[in-house]
Amino acid sequence: MSIEAHGIRKKFGAYTALDGVDLHAPQGKLVALLGPSGSGKTTLLRVIAGLEFPDPGSGRVLFHGEDVTDVPAGKRKVGFVFQHYALFKHMSVFENVAFGLRVRGRGERPSSASISERVHRLLELVQLDGLAARYPSQLSGGERQRVALARALAVEPKVLLLDEPFGALDARVRKDLRRWLRRFHDEIQLTTIFVTHDQEEALEIADEVVVMNKAHVEQVGTPQQVYDKPATPFVYQFLGNVNVLRTPALAAGAKRGLLPDEPDAEGQIYVRPHDIEVTSHDIGGTGISAIVRHIHAAGPQAKLLVEQVQTREHVEVEISRAELTDLGLRVNDLVRLRLRQAHSFNEDYAI
Amino acid sequence: MSTEARRADRDPAWARWLLTGVALVFLAFFLVLPLLAVFAQAFSKGGAFFLAAVREPDALASIRLTLLTVAIAVPANIVFGVAAAWAISKFKFPGKSLLTTLIDLPFAVSPVISGLIYVLVFGAQGWFGPWLIEHNIRIIFAVPGIILVTTFVTFPFVARELIPLMQAQGTDEEYSAVTLGASGWQTFWRVTLPNIRWGLLYGVILCNARAMGEFGAVSVVSGHIRGETNTMPLHVEILYNEYNITGAFAVASLLALLAIVTLILKSAVEWRQTGSP
Repeated sequence: MSIEAHGIRKKFGAYTALDGVDLHAPQGKLVALLGPSGSGKTTLLRVIAGLEFPDPGSGRVLFHGEDVTDVPAGKRKVGFVFQHYALFKHMSVFENVAFGLRVRGRGERPSSASISERVHRLLELVQLDGLAARYPSQLSGGERQRVALARALAVEPKVLLLDEPFGALDARVRKDLRRWLRRFHDEIQLTTIFVTHDQEEALEIADEVVVMNKAHVEQVGTPQQVYDKPATPFVYQFLGNVNVLRTPALAAGAKRGLLPDEPDAEGQIYVRPHDIEVTSHDIGGTGISAIVRHIHAAGPQAKLLVEQVQTREHVEVEISRAELTDLGLRVNDLVRLRLRQAHSFNEDYAI
Repeated sequence: MSTEARRADRDPAWARWLLTGVALVFLAFFLVLPLLAVFAQAFSKGGAFFLAAVREPDALASIRLTLLTVAIAVPANIVFGVAAAWAISKFKFPGKSLLTTLIDLPFAVSPVISGLIYVLVFGAQGWFGPWLIEHNIRIIFAVPGIILVTTFVTFPFVARELIPLMQAQGTDEEYSAVTLGASGWQTFWRVTLPNIRWGLLYGVILCNARAMGEFGAVSVVSGHIRGETNTMPLHVEILYNEYNITGAFAVASLLALLAIVTLILKSAVEWRQTGSP
């Protein structure tokens, strides 16, 4: 089922959490709501779930084209997984998963045998069969998360909403679990929206990324689109490292036909560290002259901190370790920089 | 944490023994001795006299009245307390901090004043006095007044116990239940109540103890009609004022016994609370 939201506004007192937000999550896709804390992403998720309501008259939420704005959460058929899982502490894993089935009205409630069968099938699906008798306090973070997922799936939701699904886990588990979630999503094919503040997470597993900032949607696109063609300076800076260079440097470079003719109003261009090419100064040719100030070679890539001769601005550059060896760079060497790809937000610029 | 523990261990033995000793002596003098005195006095004229004092019609009436009061005030405060705590901890609404403050009011004012407030409102000269007399309803100097002031005085116990607990637990579990299709009622019985049950029991025990023992507020509205509007604490006072010391202590020993039972229950609940998963 596809999810749409149009013109959602939500204020908490004087604080605006959502300011006219639109969203479209196509059927069967895994969509990431990405943004810093306070950007409104969790509020948007809760509005979609029906746990918060948009300000009166502001916007609509549609499931599969059907207006559900005024439908209460319990009737929307959404599976919601909370950041801290919100498992029922006093119930076993089995009872947690069975909860959504047990609270159904007399007519719709499955028999005890079929509840049991369904719960075990779900626990198998999330690879937790055998832990049915445990209590939440006896589980690890990753296990709790999967119990929460199984519980949400028990009511056969039409959409799955996950609030910071990996936020409360340590780094190692987080990596494993997000790959698992991607495979899991491919298996069950349920339209899923998850909230995250971790760009790596969003770029790695989502089909589509919705970047949010300050109650607005900044950009929507595939991971590659938002990473390679950021629509706003915010997106550029939020997704990965970036150098922000001021105009004088550009003027110098522009003469050599390297840089945007029209830098944006603030006179800044944005370039990622790995989009800068470093050449030896001796060979001559074009590029911005700079001095190597620091070399950080531990890690898969070598990171250089260079200072532009003309503007004294510092620039971060990433090159491969092999390149570093070929160039034989040392601190205080003079180099030339060429920008393979850079943006000013008046006009995209790339070489 | 661990360095502090080591430092505490290194305190000289005499200091530890002295402090423990002071605490124990204090407890013995101010708590254990008076408690023993109550029982000693109660049985000073033998078991037969004790039984007679407790079985005397006025004494029995006071016990019945106290139990009746408790049977109404405590359940009422469970309902009010849970509702108030639920509202305060799970919802945002204007006037919330005012409500929180008002809940503490019965603790803040002297019980005697609480009693007087009810006399001023419901008494013959009070706001509703003429109307009540007209309709032949007696509240002050009658059982309804006693129950009302007891409920008022013991109102904060349950709510006060539950508010911090429910605030700490947050609303995620309730929201979870709601997204899974549970109704408000199901959410309360299946999710909220099990999470607060030990805190609730603790609040009920304290509320119960205070409801049985309340003297000041009840004294103001009771009218001290023997066999009719005397609760146990009031009956004890009357016997004492009549120099029936042994009789007074016999009834008092029942209240003391109740206090001890309450403390044991309270410890059991506390133990259960910390020991639960």
